[in-house]
Amino acid sequence: MIAIIAWRNVWRNKGRSLVVIGAMIIGIWAMAFGGGFMQSFLTSYIESSIKHETSNGQVHQPEFTQDYDIQYYIKDYSSILNFLEQTSSVEAITARSLVNGMISSSRQATGVKIIGVNPDEEAQVTELNTLIVDGTYFEGISSNPVLIGNKLAEKLKVNVKSKVVLTFQDIEGNITAGRFRVAGILKASSIAINESSAYVLKSDLNRLLNIGYNVHEIAYTTVTGTDDEALAKTLQTNFADDKVESWKEISPALVFMEQWMAATLKILIIIIMSALAFGIINTMLMAVLERIKELGMLMALGMKRTKVFLMIMLETIYLSTVGGPVGLLIGYTTIAYLGKTGIDLTDYSEGLEAIGYDSILYPMLQPMDYMQIVIGVITTAFLASIYPAWKAIKLKPIDALHTI
Amino acid sequence: MSTIIKAINVSKVYHKTTVPVHAVNQLSLSIEEGEFTAIVGPSGCGKTTLLNILGGLDQPTEGKVEVDGTDISNMKDSELIDFRLRNIGFVFQAYNLIPVLTALENVEFIMLLQKRGKKERHERAMELLARMDIADKANSKPSQLSGGQQQRVAVARALASKPRFILADEPTANLDSSSTNNLLDLMARMNAEQKATFIFSTHDQRVMDKARRIVTLEDGAIVSDVKR
Repeated sequence: MIAIIAWRNVWRNKGRSLVVIGAMIIGIWAMAFGGGFMQSFLTSYIESSIKHETSNGQVHQPEFTQDYDIQYYIKDYSSILNFLEQTSSVEAITARSLVNGMISSSRQATGVKIIGVNPDEEAQVTELNTLIVDGTYFEGISSNPVLIGNKLAEKLKVNVKSKVVLTFQDIEGNITAGRFRVAGILKASSIAINESSAYVLKSDLNRLLNIGYNVHEIAYTTVTGTDDEALAKTLQTNFADDKVESWKEISPALVFMEQWMAATLKILIIIIMSALAFGIINTMLMAVLERIKELGMLMALGMKRTKVFLMIMLETIYLSTVGGPVGLLIGYTTIAYLGKTGIDLTDYSEGLEAIGYDSILYPMLQPMDYMQIVIGVITTAFLASIYPAWKAIKLKPIDALHTI
Repeated sequence: MSTIIKAINVSKVYHKTTVPVHAVNQLSLSIEEGEFTAIVGPSGCGKTTLLNILGGLDQPTEGKVEVDGTDISNMKDSELIDFRLRNIGFVFQAYNLIPVLTALENVEFIMLLQKRGKKERHERAMELLARMDIADKANSKPSQLSGGQQQRVAVARALASKPRFILADEPTANLDSSSTNNLLDLMARMNAEQKATFIFSTHDQRVMDKARRIVTLEDGAIVSDVKR
């Protein structure tokens, strides 16, 4: 019956209770939506990085990752490619040759990472072909086509079909240069692609490097739900002479971002729930102060202080949690809807893309995030209930009964 | 008849200002089982203070109160709450029903605190409401009842716990004549039929007329004690 009394007490002052419940609904919605929005930033960045830069995993010769010297190509790349092709969780594979060098136009010159690719394989792994904003994907140029980022093109003051010269050291350490023609201009959310990458045909680059069919990097993508770290470990076990890394090892910054985002969501929950807790405490203190005489009567009749405490706690918890499911449902619905349609931030696209984000974001929250919000609400309700309940049991029945 | 309550040299001094106020002054009183006692006197004579001390809601500055031989004057707060639940029924001037519960639930509530079974609670509550001629209002909330009806529910609630005695502080103060007479008749009947011991504080002549013992206080002391 104490639970029933507590529940009915919540509705004694409907207006006041509804204001608190409304605040809870909005607060929880804000937490869910805010969390989902932040998560979309993170996911956009990570997915973009995985898709266009790191892939789900990469294989190199260990020394190559330290020195970036072209002599450290993968010794037995065909065995690795065969192994990956036979691994069911691997979706697509590409092998690349890499060298750092200079790119120069008639107007400018700058450092660049030159990536030799097989266009078909690369399209499957990094969807490089989808990033073309001008020109073609290695087509329409009879020899030595090159793709460069839009920012790099601006810097070099070149357009599609403009000539550029790539200069680098070959396998013997000789400075070598090749004349390339811009086939297409790329635009990605990746700063590296936009500003400092040049994609050429692997056959063209290998010829200039004089490394035959060798490659420096094998990148692969995996099907959704694959444990990329476990797969990397399996590969590492099978190819101990090479270095296999998942995207988390290749780019620790992405892992840090994930952790940072998780911490931010927790902080957001704490801030919002703290603000709501004070509202709840205020409301419940008013409810207790209005009912001093009644609480005194209950204790005079023989209701133990522990039961009075429990009753006030229950009232507070009811008040706090009744809006929870509604807030979560609205939050979930908002995220589900915007997760499909996306939030168009095209107006801010320049700024967003400059720091590596997409201009259309798709809010999302993991079940664990919803669980965190639920735990936050329950904890807040519990903590907010203690002070009003404590105030109630500190009343002396004799004094409370004589309160006007 | 056995003695239920024995107040021995009870005093209560308040220090509201620098001047001490003797609300109850060296008062001794015994209440027998089945009595229908009115404590009367002018305002400020100590009626309510005496009732609060007898009911374990307040503790005397000096002296002691025994209920069935047990000294309640020095009981801890938690012991007193339990003691009140098992031994004392209260009827307040302002009815003090739980507003969110129906009349039936209000009467059942005290038995719930005593951890009595659901069936027993319901049957006894309905029986008491019927005795109070208010069974038809069992499912009404206090706000749907008149003052007289609310006070009858309060008396039913006080009786529900099967207390050793019932303390009623000015129970008719907020009632009209008809309701007062009705309530007094019902309480007198409960006193006669169930040997329920009632102690009232009042300055209502109609209550005094019904009482079989009148204890008159003045300045916190008994000036007359008349049994009829």
